[in-house]
Amino acid sequence: MQTTRVTIAKYIWGMTASLIILLTGGWLILAPFALGYQPWGADWANQTINDFWVGIPVAVVALLSFTLFLVSLIGALRASGVLVVTQRLQPVIAAAPAQAMMQTAAPVAPATYSDQSDLDRTLATLAAALAADLNSRRQAQASSDQQTDQTISNRRDV
Amino acid sequence: MTLGTAMRRLFPLGSYVLLLFFLAGIWVVISPFAMTTQPSGIHWIPSTINNVVAGSLLIVVSLAGVLGYMAFELRDILREAHEKQLQQELQEQQATATY
Repeated sequence: MQTTRVTIAKYIWGMTASLIILLTGGWLILAPFALGYQPWGADWANQTINDFWVGIPVAVVALLSFTLFLVSLIGALRASGVLVVTQRLQPVIAAAPAQAMMQTAAPVAPATYSDQSDLDRTLATLAAALAADLNSRRQAQASSDQQTDQTISNRRDV
Repeated sequence: MTLGTAMRRLFPLGSYVLLLFFLAGIWVVISPFAMTTQPSGIHWIPSTINNVVAGSLLIVVSLAGVLGYMAFELRDILREAHEKQLQQELQEQQATATY
């Protein structure tokens, strides 16, 4: 049997590096004020301007890099089957309306809609109940039509 | 696996971003001297020390990030190649046993 090996160390490594760089960028922004070489209320010194305008892109791009590694990690986990992609299940009625209308409420089990919200479940149950009611009415009408036809044929025979 | 595929796996987009941090780190280290905010002939002022430390951290972490990712990916590529080779050998053995 072929097994799928999930390796996430490289993504964790990249995410850790990006996180450290993000913190470093944040420190570069704050350092002139935290270390006191930028006096409060005075015009920004050249070093303050440099640190600030280097720190901002470093922090922003580090966040972007962190996101890229995170997306890669999630993609790898999904590809290996560890993370399951949640697909929104379409109701049976929307997929095959004619077939669903002829079915009773039994096929629309709650397990089919386990991933949906309460409102969706309620609507699905209601739709199934309406379909079952319509089906029973059609069957009743069909049986009454058969009885009528039988009665007419009996009268003709008589 | 082609060379291009291997290179794409070894250097993903995140690694290029980390290389940008390497360049940013170099600039942060040399900026006090390039912008002459560090007077010559005296001990380093606090802003210079801060920039050299923060820039060095950027350089080290970005390089470690790129090289570490590359090492892990290379290990994965070698492991996949080894498993593929084992699988081929198993198939050949099964084919031989069939005949």
